[in-house]
Amino acid sequence: MSLALSHCFCRMLFRQTAPSSFLPREHHHIVLSPWFAPVMTLKTSAPLRAEPKKKKKADPRRELQLRERLKKRLKKLEKVPSQFIPIEDFITPAKCLDETRERSTPKLSFEESEGRALLLKEWSRYKKKQHMAEVQAIELALKAQREALEELKLESEELYQAALMQDPLLFPFTHEGPAYTPPKTDYEAPDGKFNDITKVYTQ
Amino acid sequence: MAAPCRRMASWSLPRFLSCFGGTAVGSTGFRQFSRTAVCRVTLQTKSMTDKPSSPWTLMAAVCLQRLPVISADLSPIEQQFGHVMHQMELEKSVLSDHELQLLEDAERMSRKQAGDYDSDEEGKDEEIMLAQDLEDSWEQKLKSFQPAHRVRADVDQDVTSVQRCLADSLVLLAEQQVGSQKLWLLPQTQWQEGETLQQTAERALTTLQAAGFKATFLGNTPCGVYKYKLPKAIRTEGSVGTKVFFFKAILSDCGPPATPDTPFLWLKKSELQHYLKPAYLMKVDHFILDF
Repeated sequence: MSLALSHCFCRMLFRQTAPSSFLPREHHHIVLSPWFAPVMTLKTSAPLRAEPKKKKKADPRRELQLRERLKKRLKKLEKVPSQFIPIEDFITPAKCLDETRERSTPKLSFEESEGRALLLKEWSRYKKKQHMAEVQAIELALKAQREALEELKLESEELYQAALMQDPLLFPFTHEGPAYTPPKTDYEAPDGKFNDITKVYTQ
Repeated sequence: MAAPCRRMASWSLPRFLSCFGGTAVGSTGFRQFSRTAVCRVTLQTKSMTDKPSSPWTLMAAVCLQRLPVISADLSPIEQQFGHVMHQMELEKSVLSDHELQLLEDAERMSRKQAGDYDSDEEGKDEEIMLAQDLEDSWEQKLKSFQPAHRVRADVDQDVTSVQRCLADSLVLLAEQQVGSQKLWLLPQTQWQEGETLQQTAERALTTLQAAGFKATFLGNTPCGVYKYKLPKAIRTEGSVGTKVFFFKAILSDCGPPATPDTPFLWLKKSELQHYLKPAYLMKVDHFILDF
């Protein structure tokens, strides 16, 4: 039984894969595989007949895409690199370099310059003291906060967790800083009209 | 052994709570209940919800600060240094347009008065407004504006006013009943179940102060803690002492002017020592920043 099956299977296979055995009867079998083009049909194959290629539907799309890509590349090469927006603060305006504007400064006496140097040193010492005092005060405040959190943890865990959570309503927080004079309660500020002449650059 | 102890605890709790101003409505309900059975039930349920029932009573206080409104006066070295810096900057600078105009006008005036002046040389429309005149008109405008006074000695002496000492930051103190005494301290109130300490602090600000202070609380975290143990006479198993947690807030709006009977003060950090107890002051001093 199995032998018969295998025989049938082999025969089927051979029928499909051996067109060369059907050489003399080719005009009956028009559909042949292109790899085994027999001698008689050589003159009649498409490239030798010089027919235009059969265009599939995808071809025009592919050509268009090619053309677009080439155009893009051309444009990129032709484009001038965009200039950076100038930072106006870093450019000294030409007006300031004018020689007629120089101030006639009197020369400083020796005592004056010495006094200035000593004052600068005094100032740096003063500022250093101020800074150290600030840093110390902040350290104390942080220590107090750490203590408070430890005590709270000893008390109740859920209150501790609630204390650690962020307050979403706090930010954005604004506060008017100190001015030189206190605000006047019954002051009407004059109308401040202005023309905005800031230059806006676009790349 | 257990029953008489619990009864004692139930007696001492109302007495203890009545000492603390009686603002916490929920906890003063204990006084209304009759002793024995009902009290024990409430205590038991309380001990069931707070599993490790801590012997410390929790309170939250608010450290309300009014930040400075005007800039502080310069110290002598700051003034000197400012002056020297101004001079140095002037020396290193170049003449401005306005100064050039002043110089030109001065030159032209001197040429006019010299005698050999030909008015046809210069354009006739250049002499409308001299730069000096412009300066004078600006000075006149400045003089006509009267700014408010920086320092007002009479308001500075009034310790209850928010407008005093505009160059420093002030802290709010309130007089409250603690135990058997009336003390000056940062406004505090007892913590209640079901709210965070931050909310307790907010409640302290709104209920204990009749005036409408609008404050921004800086976060949920307490900035300091002060704990004190009760004197041994009142101390029991259920209440060893109190822990007061402080929360920082910044005053954003004064509200209506305070009525004279409100017992609160606005004090600078240096003046706190006259009103606060030393141990309390030591803890509070750490987190009140002056700059």
